[in-house]
Amino acid sequence: MLEQFAMGLGVVLQPSVLVYALAGVVVGQLIGVLPGIGAITAISLLLPITFQLDATTSIILLAGIYYGSQYGGSIASILLNLPGTPASVVTCIEGYPLAQNGRAGLALFIAAFSSFIGGMIGVVLVIAAAIPMARIALRFGAPEYAMLVVLGLMAATLVGTGSQLRSLAMVLVGVALGLIGADTTTGFYRFVAMPELADGVSLVSLAMGLFGVSEIIRSVNSDAPPQAKVSVSMRDILPTRAELRSVIGPILRGAGVGSFFGALPGTGAAIASFMSYAVEKRVSRTPGKFGTGHLPGIAAPESSNNAAAQTSFIPTLTLGVPGDAVMALMIGALVLNGVIPGPRLMVDQPTLFWGVIASFVVGNLVLLLINIPLIRLWVLLLRIPYRKLYPVITIMICVGVYSHRSSVVDVALTLAFGVIGYLLKNYRFEPAPLLLGFVLGPLFEENFRRAMLLNGGDFTVFATRPISATLLACTVLLLAYSLFSALLGRRAAARRRHQSVS
Amino acid sequence: MLKTLAATVTLTLALSLSAAAESNYPDRTIRIVHGFAAGGNADTVSRIIADAMSQDLGQPVIVEARPGAGGTLASGYVAQQAPDGYTLQLLVGGHPVAAALYKSLPYDTMNDFTYISTVGQFPFFIGALHGRFGSLQEVIDAARAKPRSIRIGHAGVGSTQHLTGELLGLETGVEFLHVPYQGGAAATTALMGGEIDLVIDAGTVILGQADAGVFDVLGVTSATRWADRPDVPTVAEAVAPGFDVVSWTGLGAPAGLPQEIADRLNTEMNSLLGRPEVRERIAALGANPMGSTSQELHDLVERQVATWTRVINDAQIERR
Repeated sequence: MLEQFAMGLGVVLQPSVLVYALAGVVVGQLIGVLPGIGAITAISLLLPITFQLDATTSIILLAGIYYGSQYGGSIASILLNLPGTPASVVTCIEGYPLAQNGRAGLALFIAAFSSFIGGMIGVVLVIAAAIPMARIALRFGAPEYAMLVVLGLMAATLVGTGSQLRSLAMVLVGVALGLIGADTTTGFYRFVAMPELADGVSLVSLAMGLFGVSEIIRSVNSDAPPQAKVSVSMRDILPTRAELRSVIGPILRGAGVGSFFGALPGTGAAIASFMSYAVEKRVSRTPGKFGTGHLPGIAAPESSNNAAAQTSFIPTLTLGVPGDAVMALMIGALVLNGVIPGPRLMVDQPTLFWGVIASFVVGNLVLLLINIPLIRLWVLLLRIPYRKLYPVITIMICVGVYSHRSSVVDVALTLAFGVIGYLLKNYRFEPAPLLLGFVLGPLFEENFRRAMLLNGGDFTVFATRPISATLLACTVLLLAYSLFSALLGRRAAARRRHQSVS
Repeated sequence: MLKTLAATVTLTLALSLSAAAESNYPDRTIRIVHGFAAGGNADTVSRIIADAMSQDLGQPVIVEARPGAGGTLASGYVAQQAPDGYTLQLLVGGHPVAAALYKSLPYDTMNDFTYISTVGQFPFFIGALHGRFGSLQEVIDAARAKPRSIRIGHAGVGSTQHLTGELLGLETGVEFLHVPYQGGAAATTALMGGEIDLVIDAGTVILGQADAGVFDVLGVTSATRWADRPDVPTVAEAVAPGFDVVSWTGLGAPAGLPQEIADRLNTEMNSLLGRPEVRERIAALGANPMGSTSQELHDLVERQVATWTRVINDAQIERR
């Protein structure tokens, strides 16, 4: 295996290939920073260029854009509460408070560092365990997906800093929004007020509206720069030993969660980052610190979405089936180059397979190396006054949202979601659980109804298949634990009240 | 008398003006609109022909994706554009399907478009897990013995793949369980995992798996065998005589395109589809590159609207 990897390195390190690998990650990084413009847009724009390249170089270029964008996505999240990609929405929750406390540099460092470690763990898994992971992914049928999503929806209420009841309300609003569009099971149009909504509300427009635009509205009365005094000294950027120690566990757990969701077709980096955040909050001994700029809350999701970006290549490379829209574009590039993707890709095209894998290692290293020095430059962005910065950002958001499906309706919706997000924040409702509900709701419905269709409406199917049953049991335990601890908490509070009275 | 004269003069003037405009055609950028995601099959085909057209016509040809609602947003948009030859549309097999599937469309499928030429045609293949069925006849027998026991995964309700499966059931008189997935790739994954028994989809989705020995290809939906797979029987010869489903891509424009421009574009399409480098690229997408006359594409659309309307009625698929 080492031998093959060395051969792959040999492929990537040829100057003619290396140039594209570097170009890919740099473009990806930039695309990630720009709000709204995602990897899909960039890759589909660059797809015609790959007509002129061979299959290996094409995939190396396009893949670099994809995982590079995961690095870039966190930057605007941390600095301006403006997620570059839906996968970096969670990074806003802890990153932005840190930036407001003058510690943007530290947050960016942790994000880049966690991204790197997460990405590398993902790559190692692709090398060492691609085939077994693909086998496990194939064992996930409709009942397993349905139960996995229920577990995810349970966890969604943890993604939020306020009360769990308010989070639950937001999850439900998100699920309701997800109902808009053609129903996957029957094709029936639901709440399609105008033809542009036939394919549903766009995730990008929802994310950019609730986070980016609402933040811009909030600051409209302020003319000061976001941070008049920002420190760009290396001492303030580098974490202390204790801080570094505090993120190791979260990075590893995040990479685990991310690798799993990445390898599973139909789920991906966005779900992975939310889930790893929820996991951290659950296992943390100090859950109260989340939402205030807690480093593990940046480390875990950043590690997670980068690990997911790497392992999402597993179904594509080992089975020849794309797990999401980005991977479908990769397959498209392969097909155009005369490579029909299938399970024999690894055997028939070893230079392609190992070249691409080796490019992941090189790409991640390059991303780390360009990100650390850039931190100081990014932080300086915060010295630009709002009145100059935000008009530019508003335009970028509009362009980015429009670029996804060339829809003016999407742009209008983004602005509307901005107003809604602003109002929600004012009433202490958080947008993150809403977004997660929006992603998971339709996924649950689709798989639940497919499970019913395939099993003649028999509910016991969820409890009789081993993976599905395990997931169901986890959900029940988590629910019981939540109820139990809420009850205990209330009792303890009552006791305290009682004591203070007497 | 005066009125007639005035009308004649106006008409003559208008005709000569438009004739002048036509002889200069094209003198500016042409765009090819399509209704699907950037990077998808329709987008790629558009780019391949745009590339070749701009070389021949000496004007830039750009591709514009207006995705949404199964391509009907783009069709509605193109139907309202000026028929001047500067707005063209890449049409796909979903175009006649939409005519049959939607309760109301913002355009008239037969009368609001000028059909120029086909670009490529491709059949669907029926794939099953290797060793599961010996032949298509076995599948039909099993389905006949136990209705709804054979599960066919498809790329989405109302997709051509779905309707092809429904047609197979109608023509052979058996009842399948049709299971919707979000796209052909998800259905293929489900077939690998054993959640379903068959997948009907394009060669790009099925044939790679067949080459690797994961799937058996039980049949091809076109009337004749596929040149690259001479060993795969057609559905018609195996179980359903007369069965003939092909999907296609083709070039269209708003209705009322001047004959001269339509002819020019038809000649252009047929000539670029004769070039090896274009043929090669379209063949890589699993299609047989082939041009047609304007009438042939028109008739193909008309025939398929009739077929899919019948299938949607008989299979009682809810219109949207």
